Amino acid sequence: MLHVTLAYIDPGSGSLIIQVVVAAIVAIPIFFRHQIARVARVVRGRRSAPGEGSGPQHLD
Amino acid sequence: MTTATTAAPTAGSTAERDPGSFRDPGGFVYRRDGVLYRQIGPASIADWEAFLASGLADRLIGSGRLVGHEAVDLSLAATADARGVIRPEPIDFISYPYEWTFSELQDAALLTLDVELEALAAGWTLKDASAYNVQFRHGRPIIIDSLSFEPLEDGAPWVAYRQFCEHFLAPLALMARRDIRLSRLLRADPDGVPLDLAATLLPARTRLSFGLLSHLHLHARAQRRYAGNEDEGRAARRARIDRSRLVALISSLRGTVRGLRWTPAGTEWSDYADNTSYTDRATTSKERLVADFVARAPGTRAWDLGANTGRYSRIAADAGREVLAFDIDPAAAERNYRQIRGEGRTDVFPLVLDVANPSPGIGWLGTERRSLLDRANPDVVLALALVHHLAISRNVPFALLTDLFARLAPWIVVEFVPKEDPMVRRLLASRRDVFDDYSLDAFRAAVGERFEVEAEEPIEESGRVLLLLRRR
Repeated sequence: MLHVTLAYIDPGSGSLIIQVVVAAIVAIPIFFRHQIARVARVVRGRRSAPGEGSGPQHLD
Repeated sequence: MTTATTAAPTAGSTAERDPGSFRDPGGFVYRRDGVLYRQIGPASIADWEAFLASGLADRLIGSGRLVGHEAVDLSLAATADARGVIRPEPIDFISYPYEWTFSELQDAALLTLDVELEALAAGWTLKDASAYNVQFRHGRPIIIDSLSFEPLEDGAPWVAYRQFCEHFLAPLALMARRDIRLSRLLRADPDGVPLDLAATLLPARTRLSFGLLSHLHLHARAQRRYAGNEDEGRAARRARIDRSRLVALISSLRGTVRGLRWTPAGTEWSDYADNTSYTDRATTSKERLVADFVARAPGTRAWDLGANTGRYSRIAADAGREVLAFDIDPAAAERNYRQIRGEGRTDVFPLVLDVANPSPGIGWLGTERRSLLDRANPDVVLALALVHHLAISRNVPFALLTDLFARLAPWIVVEFVPKEDPMVRRLLASRRDVFDDYSLDAFRAAVGERFEVEAEEPIEESGRVLLLLRRR
């Protein structure tokens, strides 16, 4: 059982489903940014600091 | 305040449960001998102890985003099933989202999302995202519900997503994209703005914004689609979302909230401060008198009614008072907040209020969210350039104005603006003058029923008078 079933506020069926859909869509650019950053690191060679370009948190 | 009383397990005094603290079965807030406590029950004690041990609590408290607390003895509990009791740092004045300016509500929303992002990174999540869980302390938003955190279960969606959208996103979008006055919808419904209502009221072009389209319009549609459907409900509870996607979702929500802009212009009073009738000398004289009168009133808390953009609120604050700067105009209060936030000031807090229609008690029993008068705690009230607006524009007799003053505070600094003043003439320009009793003598007589006039000084070059009143 997930915490969702124990939540004291009603998370709302529609609200749970839409957030899964929206999260899948907004996660795509992040996924590509990760890949681009990885490729960029490979192309630039080993001079880049490890971890650079990873984990963009804000998708404005 | 209406309160439920509970027999104390061991302490001698009575625990008075906060009428607004009943939704979360994990704990509640109460007062004992005037001191605020939060009781943690069996349902949430394990999460609470893990939260304290996680380091997240310390980080959030240390950075001023979560209210601090002190653990106290279990004998101070309100009920016998208590597993823990804490004494949260007190918040001097509890304000509500429908009293906040646009940027105050936006800052509270961003704080909630930033805390959720930090919680997610640490393997935790907010189990609720109520706007009422945020308060303003020293001018900045802070989360006051220490029990809002629970461990993030692998794959679990954000249970508070709906609540966040109803409490923050919908009203902010309506204020920014339809009409700033729609913040008052929050006052109509303590559970926030229903998303289908927001979707109906918002302009169609808001669908062109990906954030508003997904978090609001499609969200509302999904709610309608799955409402009351038991099978779909079971399917929804099985919905899974991994943590990186949850972070992307919250970040998208954050970008949407941050992208909402409102420019405080074009409303009634926002240019008023730059557009008053008095001369520089009159302004200087008024500032000096206000500073002098405020200094003569004892206490630490001041309420500035009709504060506009806060010129005199700052003078009261400079005299060492913590000031609530109320104004009916959302644009004036917004400008005030932006300026104070920019300056990093902590002693002036702007709020939107119509003095002639103060916030009522709302929610369960009408006491879940208390009325403004119930929360009133000022030591001194400033009512500058206010009396003529209430007496003439709103037809409030001086005697009723006196009742309000007497109800609010023991000391009042009030400005009387005579009928000959250009501002009063402007108010009377479009209506019949039915205010034969509008005179300084009549005003003095009315306030004299409840107050002593401690001081009275003319404001130079203006015909206006400043009075310092002390309640009998």
